[in-house]
Amino acid sequence: MQTFHFDPVALPAGIPEFRAEVRRFLAAELEGVPASRRINSWATYDAAFSRRLAERGWVGMVWPAAYGGHERSNIERYVLLEELLAAGAPVGAHWITDRQSGPALLKYGSEAQRRKYLPGMARGETYCCIGMSEPNAGSDLASVRTRAERLDDGRWKINGQKIWTTHAHKCHLIIALVRTSPPDENRRQAGLSQFLIELDTPGVTVRPIVDLVGDTHFNEVYFEDAVVDADCLLGTEGEGWKQATAELSLERSGPERYMSSLALYFELLRVIGPEPPQAIRQIVGRIASEIWTLRQMSLSVAGQIAEGKDPAIEAAIVKDLGNGFEQALPALLQSIGETGMSLENDTEFARTLGLLLQTAPSFSLRGGTREILRGIVARGLGLR
Amino acid sequence: MSEQIEMLSDAVERLFGDADGSAARAEQEGWQGALWEQLEDLGIPLVLVTESADGVGGDWDDAYAVLHAAGRHAIPLPVGEAMLAARMAERAGLPLPGGSASIATDCAGTLAIDEGGARFGGTLRRVPWGRDVTTVTAVLEVDGTHHVIRLRTDAAESTAHAANLAGEPRDTLVFRDARVETATCSAPEAAMLADIASLLRTAQAVGAMEASLHRTIAYATERKQFGRPIGKFQAVQQQLALFGSETAAAACAARTACHALGTIGTDAAFAICSAKLRANRAIGVATGAAHQVHAAIGFTHEYPLRHHTQRLWSWRSEHGNDQVWSERLGAMVAERGAEHFWSDLTARDDRAGAPQ
Repeated sequence: MQTFHFDPVALPAGIPEFRAEVRRFLAAELEGVPASRRINSWATYDAAFSRRLAERGWVGMVWPAAYGGHERSNIERYVLLEELLAAGAPVGAHWITDRQSGPALLKYGSEAQRRKYLPGMARGETYCCIGMSEPNAGSDLASVRTRAERLDDGRWKINGQKIWTTHAHKCHLIIALVRTSPPDENRRQAGLSQFLIELDTPGVTVRPIVDLVGDTHFNEVYFEDAVVDADCLLGTEGEGWKQATAELSLERSGPERYMSSLALYFELLRVIGPEPPQAIRQIVGRIASEIWTLRQMSLSVAGQIAEGKDPAIEAAIVKDLGNGFEQALPALLQSIGETGMSLENDTEFARTLGLLLQTAPSFSLRGGTREILRGIVARGLGLR
Repeated sequence: MSEQIEMLSDAVERLFGDADGSAARAEQEGWQGALWEQLEDLGIPLVLVTESADGVGGDWDDAYAVLHAAGRHAIPLPVGEAMLAARMAERAGLPLPGGSASIATDCAGTLAIDEGGARFGGTLRRVPWGRDVTTVTAVLEVDGTHHVIRLRTDAAESTAHAANLAGEPRDTLVFRDARVETATCSAPEAAMLADIASLLRTAQAVGAMEASLHRTIAYATERKQFGRPIGKFQAVQQQLALFGSETAAAACAARTACHALGTIGTDAAFAICSAKLRANRAIGVATGAAHQVHAAIGFTHEYPLRHHTQRLWSWRSEHGNDQVWSERLGAMVAERGAEHFWSDLTARDDRAGAPQ
């Protein structure tokens, strides 16, 4: 059985200065923004903010300069991300593009694809969503049915439906996982390919789905005889599964996996003041311990990724425990405090709490459910 | 890690590995003197003493490795206490302890200093292996001055035996006008004793949780019900995955806190409190899952799982329970307020990671 690795990371020199620079920018940008608009901020779409961030060189900051990137280190990027999330900056427009789509293009894209799209992504202007789930393919991703057929002229015709596609209605591109060969029951993950498709392609329709608080951020994406050029294939035909799942460590261990509810904790600290009663102190202390530990775990995985390792199981652990924390926090804070903190009140704490109670169930769904993650950890323990 | 430390680490692993079963023997025989001598021969009590003072010259990362191994093998000896007593002696300018050594975090009494030296009257409570060790080291405040004090246990007027759930001695020693070695120390240094003592347990607890996890996985892989190993059932797998994840969280917390203690000293209090609380939460999940998966066999006196779980249940509240640590951490956080929480959190790590 393997032991999991979470060695402490030595942050390189220059980090405090960079952190201070990011904080100065954010303090000016976010002045007066209330706590209720700082929670879960990597789901908050604000294209103007994304562009201003990009002007500082903070979108695609680790990408090669040839494609508009800034060749900064992965640890610097980690520091940027945690500062953005701690401040509750509205980074939803470019988040997925910066985290997944851009890196996927760098790794698997053709030179033409990279030249065409990456500079716009790094300017914070081009946004690309990820089309994986389908009505009958959620955690069981290998059962996707959307299919691409190669036409005689080499182009592809795509038919099918994606669902729960975050921000598709406000993105320019989608990386869709589709079937390019008929399903094979013995090799379920074979025959899948990734396509990079412009969302204004004829035959592609995006329909927002209203979530339980009345917001629209996820969508259905329909492909009805949508014909795309041969060079829309991303990477290698038939390698879609491998490509789509290769870098899940990056996706699963980031600071966004434990920080979604932090703005509520900060608001609590504001409300209770410097000398709260004993029972509140204890809860404040317990939460601080969780935050400190999760940050160390997430940072440790970031350090390992920066060294070129692929700590996939450790990443799954960070996501599972991180989601558990950010999900439990709202209910825990609902259970304490004076009536002045109750949900019915017209206070920032109450508004933030109310929103989070309703958003938190999604934290352990997006990016791999708790059950899937624990299955990965169990495999790491040699049980499957 | 220096070559010397690496060799020590391997030797510790061999010694402790060969000593599996010593926890059960200690229940019958008491003090494991032969094992203690081997441990001394390896220089384990001197891990945190500098080389210029004839120590090993290790840091807190090395100490973590030793404590983790001691926890994994349920070594029934004051391994961490002896390391800490020697370190305190060197820092305070006392000679290194001769013979086996423990510490006391609960010390109340008075010091009388005259030409013949210092004398102590008072009580040391819950001293690990107090009945067995040669000396006990503690800190004592007298009129605003903090002292490191070291007493010979044979000078105690009385020794009341007590033990934790695993049978590890936690004795109360009463002294009257007993000769004592003393040296002054700073207030922050004195205040750190309980923190560091609790960190020793946190590091040991991680080792004990990992050992329990390995044992439980091995059992789940062997034990068959309904025609297949119980580890093949998803419900069992999910429990063990959480057990593994919680253990990993505790390990990360304990290692990082040890590292912080070595790099930022007294500023590591936040990390130590956090690690203690996080490990304690993990202990609940770990011991629960270990016994649930083992079922009845794990509940027997003969089966060795208990040597780890009984220790974990005890260690959780030694040197202060969750209430103590969470209140202290909560008070620190509340006092600094919302504006400083995040910047304090990051500043400590930015500093700990900076080139020395």
